[in-house]
Amino acid sequence: MSVLDLRHVSKSFAATAALKDMDLSIEPGEIHAIVGENGAGKSTLIKIMTGVHQPDQGQIFVAGVAVTIRSTQEAQSHGIAAIYQEPMVFPDLDVAENIFISNRAQGAFMNWKQIYAQAADLIAQLGVTLDVHRAASGLTLAEQQTVEIARALSLNVKVLIMDEPTASLSAHEVARLLSIARALKAKGVAVIYISHRLDEIFQVADRVTVIRDGQHISTKPIAQVTPDGMVKDMVGRAIDTFAVKSAANPHGDSVLRLEGLGRSGVFSGITFDLSAGEVLCFAGLVGARRTDVALALFGISPATEGRILIDGQAVTITSPQQAMSHKIAYVSEDRRKMGLALSLPIFANISLASLGKLLGAFGLIDRKAEAAMAEGYRKQLAIKSPHVGVEVGKLSGGNQQKVMLAKWLETKPRILIFDEPTRGVDVGAKAEVHNIIRALAQEGVAVLVISSDLPEVMALADRVLVMREGRQAGILDIAEATQEKVIRLAAGSAHGQVAA
Amino acid sequence: MARLMTWEGLLALLFLATFAGNVVLAPEFLTLQNQINLFQLSIEKIIVALVMTLIIINAEIDLSVASVMGLSACTFGYLVTGGFPAAGAIVVCLAVGLVAGMINALLIARAGIPSLVVTLAMLIGFRGFARVLVKDQSMGDFPLWVTHLGQDALLGPLPLSLVLFLVFLAGLGILLHRTGFGRQIVVIGTNAEVARFSGLNVARVKTVLFLMSGFIAALAGLLYAARLGSVRGDAGTGFELDIITMVLLGGVSIFGGKGSMTGVVLSILIILNLRNGMALTNITGHIQTGVIGVLLIASVLIPNLTNDLRVRRAKA
Repeated sequence: MSVLDLRHVSKSFAATAALKDMDLSIEPGEIHAIVGENGAGKSTLIKIMTGVHQPDQGQIFVAGVAVTIRSTQEAQSHGIAAIYQEPMVFPDLDVAENIFISNRAQGAFMNWKQIYAQAADLIAQLGVTLDVHRAASGLTLAEQQTVEIARALSLNVKVLIMDEPTASLSAHEVARLLSIARALKAKGVAVIYISHRLDEIFQVADRVTVIRDGQHISTKPIAQVTPDGMVKDMVGRAIDTFAVKSAANPHGDSVLRLEGLGRSGVFSGITFDLSAGEVLCFAGLVGARRTDVALALFGISPATEGRILIDGQAVTITSPQQAMSHKIAYVSEDRRKMGLALSLPIFANISLASLGKLLGAFGLIDRKAEAAMAEGYRKQLAIKSPHVGVEVGKLSGGNQQKVMLAKWLETKPRILIFDEPTRGVDVGAKAEVHNIIRALAQEGVAVLVISSDLPEVMALADRVLVMREGRQAGILDIAEATQEKVIRLAAGSAHGQVAA
Repeated sequence: MARLMTWEGLLALLFLATFAGNVVLAPEFLTLQNQINLFQLSIEKIIVALVMTLIIINAEIDLSVASVMGLSACTFGYLVTGGFPAAGAIVVCLAVGLVAGMINALLIARAGIPSLVVTLAMLIGFRGFARVLVKDQSMGDFPLWVTHLGQDALLGPLPLSLVLFLVFLAGLGILLHRTGFGRQIVVIGTNAEVARFSGLNVARVKTVLFLMSGFIAALAGLLYAARLGSVRGDAGTGFELDIITMVLLGGVSIFGGKGSMTGVVLSILIILNLRNGMALTNITGHIQTGVIGVLLIASVLIPNLTNDLRVRRAKA
């Protein structure tokens, strides 16, 4: 009998359907991989299984019994637990204390001898060595994960969900984690293994489920799956949902050239030429360090090796002010943290990066000019708001994105970097943002777009630079690029079958 | 109606109520001399409160202001008692204020230590300096022109300190609400990360603010010395709390990003009127302080409560 069953589960957020009629059946003692593109619904699925979200429709069965899971505590009581890319441990406690942090079956007083013995036993069951007296603050990420897994084991876990557990691990640590997964399997624990790395899945999984656009596409034993077939299932959606861009792009002189750009310990060896009017997209998996390249170009966390050339001249960029003096603009991915002052009105946000232009005598702001400038963008970009005095926090995601865009357009950039320009905006606003990006390229702006949305990359790019684990995995001309090729480069499978 | 529902609107009503109450209860309240006295007794604090407004809107705090005032006053007393010309001593004291501000600025804006910690340390440090300078003595014997400037009318009925207050009020009000620098103060206070990603020089803005704070606190210390005619090591002790109270009651958010000079001025007027009214009707200082404390708690509670109500109504 299945240990965990999801039947016809659906979940929507506002107007967006995250999961549609999802079926999933997990057997005891199997390692079950779940794969899908970014945004396919994997996170929502995990959150439903762990009680963070409740399904709108459908039913969850644990060992054949229908259950409702309203919190992570309830999920734990059903034997369902999850570990994530970033483990959660208490740095000031030691390994054993962390393992038994939520286990209150110890009576009023702690029997420390017993706790340390049991902790050591749990660690041993995982087939690894780790001193249970060590403070958690000194543990590596991989060791912290081990602690979390041991904690789940102490709570009699029956289904352990691992969400991108290897995204920040070294090759050696990955091998160790995979052996832990096998040890759990041998004990009869079901492991749900979620990863972008296809080679790991072929090494460890018994069965693979592919999901796409919130729907269940296929579940097959690993022996019946080929990497190419899996990738096709993952990206299978019709690509023509996006209008094909105009073929003729004005390719002028090189505006921006990177030569072996790197930041020690973060990324290295990024080399490309970008011309006026060209759109270069950065593709790659979450954690491929694409944003770090943008942050280096914009001077937030400067490069430590290689060269940046603008119009053929080598330049140093160590602050946003310097980047802006070279007419570089960076439209960040996180509007709330880095993009917009939400409690301030639209006009103050739009003028923020180019205040200097609006200053008159004694540094006074020309408020009429400021309002007129903001009003111009409100009309041009169709920002839905009665006037430009409205607080930005009251606008919808798509309109906030447009305000942020207006802020950078007002700096009249020559090199414009977009970081996930359509994350969290609805379909309509997405198309508008795409049109704006294309129009900017037509006007001769050199555009860099970081995007995890492959159809978006295919629709916007003249060339695609694929990054993997901080390195440049390749540059594809759009004529030769396919979603399959991009995914293969991004996942960088060492697995022989994957290389076509 | 919507206008009155703003924090400034409520403060304006409260001010009118205290003012009217004073007029009714104390016949001598409305005399010009009492009106000037009312300001004069707290003039140093309310000058410093104007700069504190900018700093708190910037999401920082300067707890060291009263100690800088004390240090400036004591330096003045020390130098003049030692035979140094008073005019020169004034220049030295203002420079001391700038140096104090620069120390704060370097530790906060460059080294990145929270201003609460830095200025708490400096509150103790600068006060210690002041006490070392004057030991247990009271230092007076200032030249006549100094005490004259500190106590007597300069412009019509207005003494120098009140003139300075009005000048700073206009200047800093315009700086905050009308200039590019003021806009930067507000944006950084709202979200420093957004400011940095928009190319604003966050460290520079903070440096300028703490320099201003040090300078004006030193000036306020001089005014204090001149008004009292003598200084002691404990000059201005505890003033920082009164100053911060004025700013917060004025509707400035302790988390930064929100607040207006109008609100702070109204809050200053309310506090001065309450204290003056209670003094004129022979209510003791302890009770006065208690009333102000209740007012401050209410000022923080009321916006939170009305917000809660709004949220609950929106849900229902």
